[in-house]
Amino acid sequence: MLRVTDLEKSFDGFKAVAGANLHVAPSEVVAVIGPNGAGKTTLFHLITGQLAPDRGQILFKGEPIAGLAPHKVCRRGIGRSYQVVNVFDRLTVLDNVRIAVLAREGRTWNLLRPASGMCRDETVNILESAGLAGKAGRICATLSHGDRKVLEIAIALGSRPELLILDEPTAGMSPEETAATLKLMQRLSQEMGLTLLFCEHDMEMVFSIADRIMVMQQGRTIIQDTPEKVRADKRVREAYLGGGDTCSA
Amino acid sequence: MKAQSAGIRKTGAAAGALTGFLLLALVLPRFYLYLLSLILATGLLATSLNLVLGFGGMYQFHHSVFYGVGAYCLALILTRSGLPAWIGYLAAPLAASVLGLVMGLLTVRLSKLYFGMLQISLGSLVWAIVYRWYSFTGGDDGIHGIPVPELIGTSTGAYVFAVLVTAASLAVMYCIVSSPFGMTFAGIRDNPERCRAVGIDVTAHQLAGQVLAAFFAGVAGTLFVTVEGSVFPDMMFWTLSLEILIMCLLGGWFTFFGPMLGAAIIVMLRTVVGIYTEYWTLVLGLVLILLIFFLPEGVLGILQKGRQAGGKDAAGN
Amino acid sequence: MDSGGITVAALMQQVLVGLSRTTILFIVSSGLSLVLGVLRIPNVAHGSLYMIGAFVTYSVASFFGQTTAGFIIALAVAPLVVAAVSLVLERGLLCHLYDREHLMLLLFTFAFTLVFGDLVKMIWGSDYRSLSAPAIVQGSFDLGGFPFPRYSLFLLVMGPLVALGLWLLTNKTKIGKIARAAAVDREMVDAIGIDVSKVFAAVFVIGCYLAGLGGALVAPTQNITQGMDHTIIIEAFLIVIIGGLGNIWGALLGAAIFGLTDAIGILIWPQFAIVFPYTAVVIVLLIRPRGLLKAIW
Repeated sequence: MLRVTDLEKSFDGFKAVAGANLHVAPSEVVAVIGPNGAGKTTLFHLITGQLAPDRGQILFKGEPIAGLAPHKVCRRGIGRSYQVVNVFDRLTVLDNVRIAVLAREGRTWNLLRPASGMCRDETVNILESAGLAGKAGRICATLSHGDRKVLEIAIALGSRPELLILDEPTAGMSPEETAATLKLMQRLSQEMGLTLLFCEHDMEMVFSIADRIMVMQQGRTIIQDTPEKVRADKRVREAYLGGGDTCSA
Repeated sequence: MKAQSAGIRKTGAAAGALTGFLLLALVLPRFYLYLLSLILATGLLATSLNLVLGFGGMYQFHHSVFYGVGAYCLALILTRSGLPAWIGYLAAPLAASVLGLVMGLLTVRLSKLYFGMLQISLGSLVWAIVYRWYSFTGGDDGIHGIPVPELIGTSTGAYVFAVLVTAASLAVMYCIVSSPFGMTFAGIRDNPERCRAVGIDVTAHQLAGQVLAAFFAGVAGTLFVTVEGSVFPDMMFWTLSLEILIMCLLGGWFTFFGPMLGAAIIVMLRTVVGIYTEYWTLVLGLVLILLIFFLPEGVLGILQKGRQAGGKDAAGN
Repeated sequence: MDSGGITVAALMQQVLVGLSRTTILFIVSSGLSLVLGVLRIPNVAHGSLYMIGAFVTYSVASFFGQTTAGFIIALAVAPLVVAAVSLVLERGLLCHLYDREHLMLLLFTFAFTLVFGDLVKMIWGSDYRSLSAPAIVQGSFDLGGFPFPRYSLFLLVMGPLVALGLWLLTNKTKIGKIARAAAVDREMVDAIGIDVSKVFAAVFVIGCYLAGLGGALVAPTQNITQGMDHTIIIEAFLIVIIGGLGNIWGALLGAAIFGLTDAIGILIWPQFAIVFPYTAVVIVLLIRPRGLLKAIW
């Protein structure tokens, strides 16, 4: 479904991504791990069009998407959430998700009909599956950090993506919230058949959910394989797991 | 159903307010009708600015240029062409929105402060042309004694016209703000990056917003011509643009009616202060300083917040 | 007046006039750029401080009977008066607002444009004032058949001096280095234990001093009037933007573009001379939306 080959991106001479390779098959759950500064977020930015790569190829469903504007990437079927909470602060929770639904249906150019009645069912459904239905009327800025992180995912779902990219979905969450998010991700993958690509510092969570894991270091892909093989890989142990670096999150 | 009854209530209130304003034409003396007309024109201008400023989060630093272009367009058609007046009234907002489109094409891809600055430079260019082109625009004298159609040429006629046009414009803008487009616009204000990530073409929406705002600024310009019977280049000088920004701030720029309220306060204050002193801008400056320190959300913004905090957490529609 | 006969000499003369105008524009806009770059405040009141500088220069020079010594004293005093005003403004009010967004800061400084505008009207009245250049730089010398004012030559000397001074200040002094670091990463400077707030105050005052200096230098070349604040501030903003926000050399380049297109425009099409610099700005920004030289942010 998604294939990234030899991707490169540098900022002022610093190579943030220097040869990343990634393959995601339909309805797979793929995790990207690596120490801080390994280039994970940059890689995601490159895939979703926030940044344009200097070199390399990104194929989505067989078509090249590298360098496409973010909104076009989204319309191709890639949704994403952000590491730092990135929501619409002055809008209600309901409207946060509704914007994404309206955008997907191409209704944002409707100028005269009130939006309050539109796409209500689908929006409420998404909020229910994310466990936010009870807070639909709250102004987003008043939510707890955990709820805002979940809302991140809910907004991404509003685009009804085929591939959902999550950038550290549980960062800063309490253990209970992390567990709930993990369940949500499992449900998305198993019940809705979504393809998931995520990065995360919580190794326990990564190894419990990912079908395959890609390891990055200094912008480069070291390996992409099943959790068992990754765990056993010598290079990974040296570069990352063995170094006691896991607490850096 | 709840939403529906709220809608009916809103429509009822709007109709009531409209009737009330029209009835004022029968009782108020001429000066007050003039003052109210001026408030409506200025308020409409401020509301159109707020469409992109408060609801769209765009740094629209030079909005009055659209107001001025609308006004000049009407004035020139009325004084220099044999065309019927209604063509002037239609052409003015269109001319303003064409300018909005052209300026928007050049500016919307820039980030906030750069957007605002390039807009000021383009607007100043327009102002400079109007200011210097004596033979066509009357230069710094402007154009006076514009022959407004008789029906709306009297102070009562102008007032009724201003009320009707303002009401219609506000109704349309209200629809826009609560439409999916308006919601998208608010989303772009809060977080353009996220909007792109959910598939919204931010630039195109901002461009459209710019054109719409310019259109209604042009409408406000025609009201000014109708009420005052004259135009002058100061109407599109950048200081006026910042003054209407103050109106939005004063009324509350995250509210729909805030800018209208702000315009009313400022215009009335100017009239009252003008009786006692020639130093009006000093007063305005002091008001603005106090506002920024103590009331950054504006009058309506504070009221709304108070209601939200005090009352029940009125659930999501 | 007919554009058919633009002679080389006339062109040369206008270029020199444009360059001396550039000096004023550079001095004013480098101050604005400094404040924008380091404090991130679009200081609309900068133009008012320039106007105050010009009026104070007039008053001080007149107090000494418009003599050469009087002018030199005025040139020294007026920018200091402006700097003192700006220090009060910054410590008293502005420093409480640094966490607000640009729009609020812009409006806040605009409030002072309004207040200063009326204060100047109260103190100096609404008539325009004029000040003749001091005797040693009065009159003009011959330039291939055209008279070239000596005062313009004086300005042409002042410009590079100020540029050099600014360069030394930002590159060779401690405060300059801290200020440049703070422009890039404020929190970092805060974290290593430097009181950023004081640095900001200093930068703001220096920036405003330059506005005052510009006003003092411009005083003998034109009528000193209400409204000169409105014109200069827009020009200065545009210069800063086309040069590259916060970049001193950008301000110099932008000022040159603005001053020269203006001067040559007068030669080509006097009535619409004002259109030339604005058009130049638009063209520059279309080609390089973030300015010609590297912007600080």
